[in-house]
Order: sequence, then C-alpha cells, then structure tokens
Amino acid sequence: MEIVFDNVTKNYGPINVFRDLDLKIKAGDFIFVTGPSGSGKSTLIKMILNQVKPSSGHVIIDGQKLSEIKDKREIDRIRKKIGVIFQDFQLINDLTIEENIALALDIVGYPEDKISSRINEVVKLVKLQHRYFLFPSQLSGGELQRASLARALSVEPEVILADEPTGNLDPTNAWNLIKILQEINEKFKTTIVMTTHNMDFIESLDKKVIKLDK
Amino acid sequence: MKLFKLTLHHIRRSPFQSLIAFVAVFLSFSVLNTFVYLNRGLNHVLNYFETKPEITIFLKDGLDAEKITALEEEIKTYPQIREIRKISKEKALELYREMNKNNPYLTEMVTASILPASIEISANDPRVLEVIAQKFSSKSEVDEVIYQKDIIQSLLNWTKIIRIFGIALVVIFLIASFLIIFSLIGMKITNRKDEIRISRLLGASQFYVKRPFLLEGAIYGTLGAFIAFLSSYLTIFAFRHSINHFFQPIIFVNEFSLLDILILIAELLFGLVIGLSASWLGARRYIKW
Repeated sequence: MEIVFDNVTKNYGPINVFRDLDLKIKAGDFIFVTGPSGSGKSTLIKMILNQVKPSSGHVIIDGQKLSEIKDKREIDRIRKKIGVIFQDFQLINDLTIEENIALALDIVGYPEDKISSRINEVVKLVKLQHRYFLFPSQLSGGELQRASLARALSVEPEVILADEPTGNLDPTNAWNLIKILQEINEKFKTTIVMTTHNMDFIESLDKKVIKLDK
Repeated sequence: MKLFKLTLHHIRRSPFQSLIAFVAVFLSFSVLNTFVYLNRGLNHVLNYFETKPEITIFLKDGLDAEKITALEEEIKTYPQIREIRKISKEKALELYREMNKNNPYLTEMVTASILPASIEISANDPRVLEVIAQKFSSKSEVDEVIYQKDIIQSLLNWTKIIRIFGIALVVIFLIASFLIIFSLIGMKITNRKDEIRISRLLGASQFYVKRPFLLEGAIYGTLGAFIAFLSSYLTIFAFRHSINHFFQPIIFVNEFSLLDILILIAELLFGLVIGLSASWLGARRYIKW
C-alpha cells in the first residue's frame, strides 16, 4: 500500500497544523514521524485513516484520493488493510483481549474456523499467551500495548500505524515493542508508520524520519 | 465475535433496561391477544344468532288446540319458512329441566303451568321473520314475540365498541413499546460509543456496528410477542371450559387450530417489525460516525 500526502494543509480553526505537506510512504517502509507535541503527528495518522480530512490538498492511498471517495464502504475497505496501535490502546473494556482480537478479525472477514488459531499465533508473537483471556482492566500498561499490537497484527495488515505506542511504556517494554515492529517489517514487509518523540529510537535505528515542526 | 453472542452480551450488560423493553412489548401483545380472543368469541356469538334466524311467539295461557293450529296454519302461508316447532307447556318444562339439570333448586318449584307455550319459527330469509313478528305481535292470542334481530343489533353495537376500544388501547401500547425500544437502543448506543468508534476505525461498516442493536430490537419484539401469546393462550385455555359453559350452547373459545398458529405467526412478524423498525430508527439516529 502506497500512501501519499499531496500538498496537504490542515487547520483547526485559526491554528495551522501543516502547510503544504508532501510525502510519500512506499510499501514496506518503516518510518518514524517525530516532532514536538501539537506538531500534527496524530493528525497525520488520523488523516491516513480518513478520521480527519485535510483543509486542502489530498491524501492518496493506492492512487485513490480519500477526499474523492464517495462510497463509504471503500473507506472501510482501506481501513481493513491498516492495523492501528493507539497511545491509549483503544481496547474495548468489556471484552477480553481474545474477544477484542476476534472482533478485529471478524470485521475484516477472517475465516471463522481460523480465528482461534490466528489469535493464538499473535498472542504468542507479542508474548501474551498467558494473559489473553483477561479483560483490559486486568493488564498492565505494557501488556495493554502488546494486546493492542496483537490486535493490529492479527488482521495481517499491509500497513501498521502506531501513534505514540511507547508513550506509556517503560524503556524495556518500549524497546520490546520496537523490536516486534521491526521484525514484522522485515519478515512480512509490512509498512510501519510510527509517531514518537523518543529520539533514542530514531537515533538507534537506521530508519526514515519525517520531522514535523510546530 | 459472533453477532448473536455480541447481542446477548449487550443485553446482559444492561439487564434492567432490556427487561423494560421486553415487558413493554409483552404487555402490548397481551392486550392485543385479549382483544383478539374476545373478538373471536363475540363473532361466534354473532354467528350463532345470524345463522339461525328465528322468532319465538309466546302464547297466552288457556288457548285451545284449534286456535293454536289456526295460528300454525297461518304461519305456513308465508314463503321461505324452514321449520315451525310447537312447544307445549310440558315440552317447555322438559327443556327447562334439561337446561338446568345441574341445579335442582331451579327445577324443583317449576311446573308446566307457569311456563308459556310457544311457537318457534325459523326461516331461510330473515326478512320474512320481520313481517311475521310485526303481524303476530298485535294478535290477541299472542303474549310476546321475541325476534333475534334486536339481540344481533345489540351484540353488533357492543362488538363495535369493544373493537374500537381494543384497537385504540393496542395502538397506544404499541406506540409506547416502539418509543421505549427506540430510546433504549439510543441509550445503549451512547453507552457503547467507544466500542462503535473503535470498530469503525478497524474497518467495520456502519451496518456492521448497527447489526447487534438491530438484532437486539428484533429479539425484544419477537420474544415479547411470543411470550405474550403463550401466556394469553394458556390463560384463556385454562378457563376455556368455564367460559364455554357460561356461553353454552355457543362455543366462545375454540380448540387450538390453524387459525391460532396463523395468529402466532402474524404476531411474531408484527413484533419483529416493531422491534426492528424502532431499533433501526434508533441506530440511524444515534450512529452517525
């Protein structure tokens, strides 16, 4: 999946977030998006998800301008190809981790008879195999972030958007998460777009960086 | 997660709200069933009288046989007469005893002399009976003429009143059920807005996130209608013999028949439509993202 920002400007009322942003994210890229708070890192992620629309310019995914898509189902189809990891996890609190992942798989139309085995695979990958039957309120911050990653991975996405995924984690858990993302990127050629303001990751890993200014 | 499992999960998460919706539908359909069965019974009563056009001419005491025969002969001259039955005082006593055989107190003191003799006339065309009733009520030999048209008219009036009252009551109850389900689904959507928003971000279509709420409404509608039918049916049939005994010889409550199955199917469909349309409108109103 190729993601292009073509001359995108975004204003929230009088506040300008980006002006004339041009960028291209190719399939298989691992990209860090960095910048101070309020520089528009989360807005960039939300624009890819069509949660937020540009004030001018276009976000283009696989050659389709999101703003020109009339059929809402097409947006749903694009979202199904994207796995999202949120800073605040965004897990459904009254479903277990297993049910949260099953819901994501059901949404993308994963074969019903393979859902259980797919859940087992991803919880092992993120090392949550002994905790996935618990509710989000019963897990620690690191475990919740891994659960969120497991949900994103489960649907075998073409792109993973990670919005400050290490923001609530201690350094060890944060590095573990980065390692898993790196592994997925290398192994499955999944595009990773990760927002962060942790310069350690950016300096330690030789990845593309998009720096947004306030 | 399977749709039905997710819907049951929603119902379990707010059991009291769900109970209110269920009870509202249950009460609406219980009222509907009461009027359906009452209407069916009244139709049986009407049918009984309508299919047996009859008048009864009660004769004064002390008439001799010749006069009675002369009256009979005069009646025979009218067209479309089906049957003429002469009921003597003794026969009237016999019929009275048969009707009250289970109540000896009512039969002990009655003798043939206090019961009037009568002539019962049935006809193929009820209009003839009207003419006979007018003609014979003024005769000196006749004490009283009872014509069923008056009974039928009175019954028709009552049936009409009961139908109008029943329809009005059922409509009010159904509108209340509809509004309760509509508001309930709205509340549940508001409570679960995070879940809906997350599902939408994961790629769920609007219909996908609406489905559990639509199914929930459908469950309230059909389950409420079904339990209401079952309880009304069991109650009415538990008292069937007493009710029929009261109305004998008319069968006020029938045996279980194909018509009952058709009523059940119609009510289930009606419940489904109410539940589904209320939840659909609720989902449409509250799920906008």
